[in-house]
Amino acid sequence: MKPILQVRNLTKRYGKGCPECLGRTGPLRETNQCPRCLSILACRGVSFNLYPGEVLGIVGESGSGKSTVVRLLHFDFEPTNGEFFLRLNGNGGTDRPPGIDPGQNLFALSPFRRRQVRNELMGIVYQNARMGLRMKVSAGGNIAERLLMAGWRHVGRMRQRAADLLAQTEVPVQRMNELPRNFSGGMQQRVQIAKALSTHPAVLLLDEVTTGLDVSVQARVLDLIRSLQQELGVATIVVSHDLGVIRLLTSRTIVMRHGCIVEEGLSDQILEDPQHPYTQLLVNSVL
Amino acid sequence: MKPSLPSKATPLPADWRDSGSPARGRYSYAFLDEGAKREIRRKMLKAVAIPGCQVPFGSREMPIARGWGTGGLQLTLALIGQDDVLKVIDQGSDDSVNAVNIKKFVSRVTGVTVTTDTRAATLIQTRHRIPEEPLRPHQLLIFQVPIPEPLRLVEPSERETRRMHAEADYSRMWLYLFEDIVKFNEITVGARYPVLVNRRHLMDPSPIPRWDVAKLNQGEALFLFCAGREKRIYAVPPHTEVVPLSFEDFAFRAEEFGGRRCGRCGSPGTYLDEVIDDATGRRTYSCSDTAFCEKVRRRGGVRGSDGPGEESS
Repeated sequence: MKPILQVRNLTKRYGKGCPECLGRTGPLRETNQCPRCLSILACRGVSFNLYPGEVLGIVGESGSGKSTVVRLLHFDFEPTNGEFFLRLNGNGGTDRPPGIDPGQNLFALSPFRRRQVRNELMGIVYQNARMGLRMKVSAGGNIAERLLMAGWRHVGRMRQRAADLLAQTEVPVQRMNELPRNFSGGMQQRVQIAKALSTHPAVLLLDEVTTGLDVSVQARVLDLIRSLQQELGVATIVVSHDLGVIRLLTSRTIVMRHGCIVEEGLSDQILEDPQHPYTQLLVNSVL
Repeated sequence: MKPSLPSKATPLPADWRDSGSPARGRYSYAFLDEGAKREIRRKMLKAVAIPGCQVPFGSREMPIARGWGTGGLQLTLALIGQDDVLKVIDQGSDDSVNAVNIKKFVSRVTGVTVTTDTRAATLIQTRHRIPEEPLRPHQLLIFQVPIPEPLRLVEPSERETRRMHAEADYSRMWLYLFEDIVKFNEITVGARYPVLVNRRHLMDPSPIPRWDVAKLNQGEALFLFCAGREKRIYAVPPHTEVVPLSFEDFAFRAEEFGGRRCGRCGSPGTYLDEVIDDATGRRTYSCSDTAFCEKVRRRGGVRGSDGPGEESS
């Protein structure tokens, strides 16, 4: 099976950088800050594939670069180096926007095209709903924004689509016209999920979706994500430091530390039989 | 430095109009120095070449306060020649303080003829209206613009609005209109209705009423816009597509006057001002474009007009 998404040698450096940066940082050096030039390598040389319909977990402690990776894939900021390919003809892929070449490095696209790819092919859910939603725009309007970007120009149809999505994500439809800042945390996350799914994305990115929610709400949101993922078959990347979330949602997992991938494998294997010392520590430290 | 204007005590030299040298006397022809005129003309050419795109320019200090038409005035002064005929409108009126003073100033520093007749004018500077009489080729309409950025309503950062224009990312403006419909079941934008020019740039048509927006589309005349304080010039060349943003199920609507006519000249189908008489409380309607109204009345008015022009409240 051919991967739907390929990432090659993804690197993000904050700071000027020097020739010694790569040698003096990483898991072996126990830091991601270069002692010579003080640059921070948030992630370095990260490569992985995502296959159609698969759920991939990225796990690691805070500062390990896992959020940086998904936010680079969402074009939230520019990578220092790396390549990113999407192949859409397979399962779950849409043909919009036309002309995405499987051999095209998406980081090299113009900002205009990147925005188009992001809007029509990717959906993201952030830990903090303030990053994913406009708090001064109604819940329905937040969903409509993505539809408007994709060229929808019919208010009635957009509202209908927003209502359908909100019903699907278990947000009371009668609260569609309210501002998301008046919603509870769990409901804000569910509006974010509805927004992310509004344009039938080929790839769904979930960045610490349940962090900061209480346990019962966490369970509801996770159930929702799992059932929607199974229903839609959308390829998903789940970023979390919570091994429970990884166990529940993902089939394959990447473990990151100090900006590097230290271990990769099936989620069951990683959790039951960790090989890398850091992963062993991580698994053992679960309460 | 304070610009040295000729006072009333020192009238223009008699041979002013014949003087070949632009810098004869104490100031240039049409007040602006030649460098300023060149800057403004070059930026106007760029603006015409990219319809609807805001072009930054070196805005000069003018002898009127910012916000009183310094942008429009600079374009007028940079364009005006000795054979031009000038008309200045302020909210449809030729006789308001703003219009009268700009007219006076321009004619004093150039000696050109001024008129109130839209047909006779070659150069029209306007604030918030487009004349009722259709403009013709070779006429120039210069708008005074307070806020040139249509996206300022939804995005305070200049850097971000420039990115949005560069990427033609106007979804925030669409979202604003969508939210308006969600809240009020109609688009409540009155003046300054955002328009898409040449299918590319979102443009603020200056605070003209929605009534006038259609006149920008495929017009015969050249429309020039300038904001002196914000230092931006933009333009709509003749025969350019100008489309107000609207949804498939919420079409753009101009103001409606319920079949009322002007109470003074009787014209149907003009943009009307509502005037309430303080003493009697009577509501009367009259053309906002006073020069047009005057012209129709001089021709004897429109027949059958003594009905719905006024009503009591």
